[in-house]
Amino acid sequence: MTEAALPSIRETSVTDAGRLRALKRFAAGDALFRGATLTAAIAVLVLLGGVIVSLAVGSVPALKAFGFDFLTTQKWNPVTEKFGAIAPIYGTLVTSLIAMLIGVPVSIGIAIFLTELCPYWLRRPIGIAIELLAGIPSIIYGIWGLFVFAPFLQATLQPWLIEAFADVPVLNVLFAGPPYGIGVLTAGLILAIMVLPFITAVTRDVFLTVPPVLKEAAYGMGCTTWEVIRKVVLPYTRVGVVGGVMLGLGRALGETMAVTFVIGNAHRISSSILAPGTTISATIANEFNEAVGDIYTSSLIALGLILFVITFIVLAISRLMLMRLERKQGK
Amino acid sequence: MNAALYHRRRRRSRIVMVLSVAATAFGALWLVLILGTLVWNGAAGLSLAVFAENTPPPGSAGGLANAIVGSVILTIFGIVIGTPIGILAGTWMAEYGRYSPLSTVIRFVNDILLSAPSIVIGLFVYEILVVSMGHFSAWAGGAALAMLVIPVVVRTTEDMLLLVPNTLREAGAAIGAPRWKIIASVGYRAARSGILTGILLAVARITGETAPLLFTALNNQFWSLDPNQPMASLPVTIFQFALSPYADWQQLAWTGALIVTFAVLTLNIVARVLSNLGGSK
Amino acid sequence: MSEAAIATITPTPAVAARSFEAAKDKVSVRDLRFYYGDTLALKGITLALETRKVTAFIGPSGCGKSTLLRVLNRMYDLYPNQRAEGEVMLDGENILSPRQDLNLLRARVGMVFQKPTPFPMSIFDNIAFGIQLYERLPRSEIADRVEAALTRAALWSEVKDKLRASGLSLSGGQQQRLCIARTIAARPEVVLFDEPCSALDPISTSKIEELIDELKSDYTIAIVTHNMQQAARVSDYTAFMYLGELVEFGETAKMFMAPADKRTQDYITGRFG
Repeated sequence: MTEAALPSIRETSVTDAGRLRALKRFAAGDALFRGATLTAAIAVLVLLGGVIVSLAVGSVPALKAFGFDFLTTQKWNPVTEKFGAIAPIYGTLVTSLIAMLIGVPVSIGIAIFLTELCPYWLRRPIGIAIELLAGIPSIIYGIWGLFVFAPFLQATLQPWLIEAFADVPVLNVLFAGPPYGIGVLTAGLILAIMVLPFITAVTRDVFLTVPPVLKEAAYGMGCTTWEVIRKVVLPYTRVGVVGGVMLGLGRALGETMAVTFVIGNAHRISSSILAPGTTISATIANEFNEAVGDIYTSSLIALGLILFVITFIVLAISRLMLMRLERKQGK
Repeated sequence: MNAALYHRRRRRSRIVMVLSVAATAFGALWLVLILGTLVWNGAAGLSLAVFAENTPPPGSAGGLANAIVGSVILTIFGIVIGTPIGILAGTWMAEYGRYSPLSTVIRFVNDILLSAPSIVIGLFVYEILVVSMGHFSAWAGGAALAMLVIPVVVRTTEDMLLLVPNTLREAGAAIGAPRWKIIASVGYRAARSGILTGILLAVARITGETAPLLFTALNNQFWSLDPNQPMASLPVTIFQFALSPYADWQQLAWTGALIVTFAVLTLNIVARVLSNLGGSK
Repeated sequence: MSEAAIATITPTPAVAARSFEAAKDKVSVRDLRFYYGDTLALKGITLALETRKVTAFIGPSGCGKSTLLRVLNRMYDLYPNQRAEGEVMLDGENILSPRQDLNLLRARVGMVFQKPTPFPMSIFDNIAFGIQLYERLPRSEIADRVEAALTRAALWSEVKDKLRASGLSLSGGQQQRLCIARTIAARPEVVLFDEPCSALDPISTSKIEELIDELKSDYTIAIVTHNMQQAARVSDYTAFMYLGELVEFGETAKMFMAPADKRTQDYITGRFG
């Protein structure tokens, strides 16, 4: 084992000039790299801060001109330069609500299927398909909604809704005709389809965090699959599921392209969800480049600020919830 | 055992299970429909001209060449600007600032940016760059896309570096290597495929983004490689053409949509294969 | 087995008589206290590592032996809320001083870990990485140095045909020897082994033990081990630690045959630990 022929490994001393030079280089390199990474990290903070500040500054003229009325009035008139944000805010909230009402139960259903029922060999392909679908650009949903889905709804679902609920109080107002095809309901439905992959992916991941022993214990007591889900899986993952739903809601609220195509861009609040409306993002996308005058531009930026604040709150809640689940899992 | 109760419980469970299968079928149905019509309508307009000719004036035939090239250029800008910042920031969070509260704050903020409405990002870049430059430009478009790239890359870089075992860092330190050298030679190398996956996912994301380009890169009917000028991109062209009343334009919009989707799905699949390759080692 | 191993170690004068002169001791630790946050993990340790001898640290889990090892190259500095007080002299210089250059310290005091830690690069690069940190050498000389280190670590004949293969492709025992080669290639003066064999099979273990025995002609060595036979086989001196204190420190042969402290005796006879 001793190869005497080879030179001894230790022949230089530590005070070797080369070594000292190397050490100087290291110190400089470390300071530089540390500084560069820290700068980049701070830049991320600055970006978010910059978004908020620049939107706030941009909104000042509009907020000065209209004050609190900006949040409560419906008028949106570029000619007289009178702007109120309530119609797009309403549209944003209602389309997202519709999307959640449909998207959440379906997503949870799919997640249950994927984690409890689906044969193992099929889980991966379906899981991958869902993640791929989450990556499809929203403009695809928009163009499909405009050319395929809206005409389809105009011919089928909408006339049926109008007729079926014509004599039912409340619902007959909600589903009052005529069937335009495009409108608030259509936008909500497109959003529902769009958020499906998001919510499903998060919910499935969250369901998978349930320790198998917990489920096995419940099955061992003779629980049915549904009972295991309701009594074990859902209580255990509640926080995470809410986080996933909020994440989907954040997407729906801020979504621009899928909605802009099919909402109809009407600055009014209609009692019927079949009527055209608008959302914050659709208004900005449609009008920003044509906007003339400081007040008009500023009003659109103020809309952007409102949207950012709403989604910030929703996403912050979502993150906090998901972080709580992670922490629970870590311990 | 109470047989009636048992049967009721089993029936209820079975109903829920049927509903969950129905939900899966329902979800799958729409997505198949969307992709089906996309391929059907998009493929109808596929021809060499789509890739060779520029976007036409209303009512005449043409292609999407300038939009495709514009999209590629804007995407490259976004990645080239966003990736280094993202990797460096993620590195700080996972390495130098791992135990710092600032790291937690940045992670939270980054997650918000990750899902922030992209149209708001567009407004921000408009305010910062377009207003100060006085005109729309590809630079501004690239900057807006970079803002979407950064959070994705920060996230994956941090996650991947956190997966590198501490013993490797200690082993690096134990032979007298400085921190930056350990990160560059050991950390990045171990996390390489994960970080690359993150970058590819970021490319996939910005390839299809429309909203942040509307008021930054705007659009351009003509062939242009000048980053100081407005630049065409596939998504914005699709947006403009789909909403137009001209059949030629609408057909190009469908074809463009097919190309974008194909590109995005391919990128996603490549990213996935890459991360599987990295993970199996 | 342990008797046989102990018998091979030639007895030397009693420890108490040893003087702590600098030339004889490479490292001397005086009143070392170590804190994890507020928890005192080392309660005033005083001992010395003799130049070109092997010192083994034994004791039950959590006794602080690994902690002590990680003070000797200040590895703990990578983590927050860990701090050391007292004095650790390496060739007469206090390495706990804030002015101590950590990169230099760790280049002088190498470490081999419990689990093999090959870098995610080729076998050749694993070793060349450490060499190139401090020395600018022509390619051929680096190749010579890599070969020398691998030979020294008794790995050359097994890997000489696949130097370009990933370090991760080796077996556990080979990986550990690769790590030893990497450590000595960087030309340290002291080498710390932190339970280097606990993840290895008996054959690989005996190879590493032979290697340690072979390396002490050039290096001052400290080894933490759970395995008392191993301590008896490879070390010249043994330190028994318990609950953050140094219970007994002396020549291995003497310690194993006639421990002075009851706790040492209980531990080495397997009554606890």
